[in-house]
Amino acid sequence: MKAHPHLSLFRPSQPRSLALPHNSWALNRERLRQLVRRELTARYRGSVIGVAWSLLNPVVYMIVYTVVFSKFMRFSIPGTSYPVYLLSGLLAWNFLTQSIGASVNSILGNSALVKKVAFPWIMLTVATVVAAFINYAISLVLLAPLLIFFHVPVSPALALLPLVTAVLFILVLGLSLGLAAANVYFRDIEYLTMIVIQVWFYITPVIYQLDQILAASHNSILFAIFRWVLYINPMTWIVTAFQDVIAFHRWPAHWPGLAYAAGMGALVLVAGTLLFQRLSHRFAEEL
Amino acid sequence: MPTDLAVRVRDVSKRFRIYHRRNLTLKQALLQRRRGVYEEFLALQNVSFDVRQGGAVGIIGENGSGKSTLLKCIARILRPDSGRIETHGRVSALLELGAGFHPEYTGRENIYLNGALIGLPRRYIDSVMGEIIAFSELDRFIDNPVRTYSSGMYARLGFSIAVHLDPDVLIVDEVLAVGDEAFQKRCYDRIARLRAEGRTLVMVSHALEPIREFCSDCIWLDHGHVREQGPATTVVADYLAEVNARESARMASEVEHLHQMVPSGRGGVGVTRVRFEGAEGPTHVFQTGDPFEMVIEYHAPGPLTGARFAVDLQREDGVVVLSTATDDDLAASTLPPTGEVSLCIPNLPLLEGLFRAGVIISDTRTGQPYTVLGGAFPFRVRTHRSRDGGIALLGHYWRLPAALRPLPQDHNLGTSPSHRKR
Repeated sequence: MKAHPHLSLFRPSQPRSLALPHNSWALNRERLRQLVRRELTARYRGSVIGVAWSLLNPVVYMIVYTVVFSKFMRFSIPGTSYPVYLLSGLLAWNFLTQSIGASVNSILGNSALVKKVAFPWIMLTVATVVAAFINYAISLVLLAPLLIFFHVPVSPALALLPLVTAVLFILVLGLSLGLAAANVYFRDIEYLTMIVIQVWFYITPVIYQLDQILAASHNSILFAIFRWVLYINPMTWIVTAFQDVIAFHRWPAHWPGLAYAAGMGALVLVAGTLLFQRLSHRFAEEL
Repeated sequence: MPTDLAVRVRDVSKRFRIYHRRNLTLKQALLQRRRGVYEEFLALQNVSFDVRQGGAVGIIGENGSGKSTLLKCIARILRPDSGRIETHGRVSALLELGAGFHPEYTGRENIYLNGALIGLPRRYIDSVMGEIIAFSELDRFIDNPVRTYSSGMYARLGFSIAVHLDPDVLIVDEVLAVGDEAFQKRCYDRIARLRAEGRTLVMVSHALEPIREFCSDCIWLDHGHVREQGPATTVVADYLAEVNARESARMASEVEHLHQMVPSGRGGVGVTRVRFEGAEGPTHVFQTGDPFEMVIEYHAPGPLTGARFAVDLQREDGVVVLSTATDDDLAASTLPPTGEVSLCIPNLPLLEGLFRAGVIISDTRTGQPYTVLGGAFPFRVRTHRSRDGGIALLGHYWRLPAALRPLPQDHNLGTSPSHRKR
């Protein structure tokens, strides 16, 4: 075997502060960067169409829902075209589904790493959320041709998109952290989550419109419960805000709702982080 | 913590839950209102020790004694239930090589990924990329996905990244046990250099040789307790003595059990017992070069004529290392009804391994065996010098260029264990 006498292990000739900055913030940022990259690559490498995957999913849903609800069931949304309305809510919803779907397994699926390498394991979950967020950001480009095609004007309200996205991000991150940690202890949380998300989709006004439900005149008990559920569901207000700024090119109509969603998001994030930190003490032995 | 210490461990205890029935699903947990039936297992009990800055401590003990648990506690992967662990400076734990490698990534990409995870900043990796690749000897494959790598290449890449860590305290688990001889040697060379630079080392190893070589001090863990701590040579020697004693006792009881089971041979001639004698009396564990004696106590209904005693020594893997028998002079003479016949090997040349001895007593006149005890009696041989391998140490010496002083001749058996100098 070849020898490498010119190599020195720890490079004592270099000033160590130069060689290795022991700055944990910088290190963690690099960890996050690498883990996000791994997350994105895992999805795309070896597939012919690559990044197009992240666009395909919302496009397919948009076409299916448009055909089913707008053409067959004759849903219509006054003030905008149905595909645009649908896509603006779907983009937000997709971020939630993809992020939680990947995050719930982010600790369990990396058990070898958690058991053998000491680093802030929370990075693993944050990385899956950030990766999903990047997918979301890429999928936003779908809006441009759609807005042009359906002659939807761009209003200054679109400048609020980052703010609304931030509310969504906080909520999703909090949920992802809590679920990822809990899934280590109870492995059916992953499956439970998928079911809950499916139900959640139908109690969030993505394919229908919140204002139409609120304005509807029937007064059955079931309908009252449905309205009540829509009110407490933070995603209602986030998705509605997406639809407002994109499809209706107007300022969000339900400010208190959005503020409530932001508060819930913050609460969930704090709770999720605390739960994660608490449960993470025993990750290495539970895995 | 005093400033001259790198690691201080105080009264650390760690309990694990051994689940008899574990409710891994929320459904079960809700139905049964608890997370399963478990027993607590004390993996570490009030462990305390210090490691000086620049010191090197080895941790030894049997499987399940808590070595890896202790390392993981120091590395902060596990959290002790009680007690305190303080560390000074940057701690890097090398518990697995190539942790987090992505199979679809190329070797180069994985250097960045794994490097970031174990704590190497990107700019630093950029600056040592050439060295990492050169050290791994994977130049031609570095841009191929690691899923195409052999396990040896995988480990080489992982280690090449890990050696570029720049820790104040390095914690090493058994990771160096992978790879071929040459790779291991380079790993140990790196550790030696690290020691020379005054970094602190805490290592777990199953092989005692590296502990003796690299560590000034040693901790012997026994069922989660510190059994002994002190200078590495002393602790390792005591540990080895106990391991040998325990193995010897286990073998002795196996043989004892056998003696009770074995019926008397044909015609009432048989083996009463077989024992092994070393330099210090009965044992089942020998060092290469020790005096070796296998004593066969026999019994017969009356004076025994025409008997032949045969012994064969077999290594665990079936290789017969010796097959020998008493000669015709013994057959011609008459033996007392009970007595001892011994096979003596003055300087046992066998090398490290587990062996079994078999005994046959036969009647030379009829050619019929009285009794056959094939491979019934186990003994262990230990070899201190790791540069000797094989079945037996054949007498030899090295002839060197005339200008050099001759090396001490190696064919002398029974020399004191010498340490391998690298």
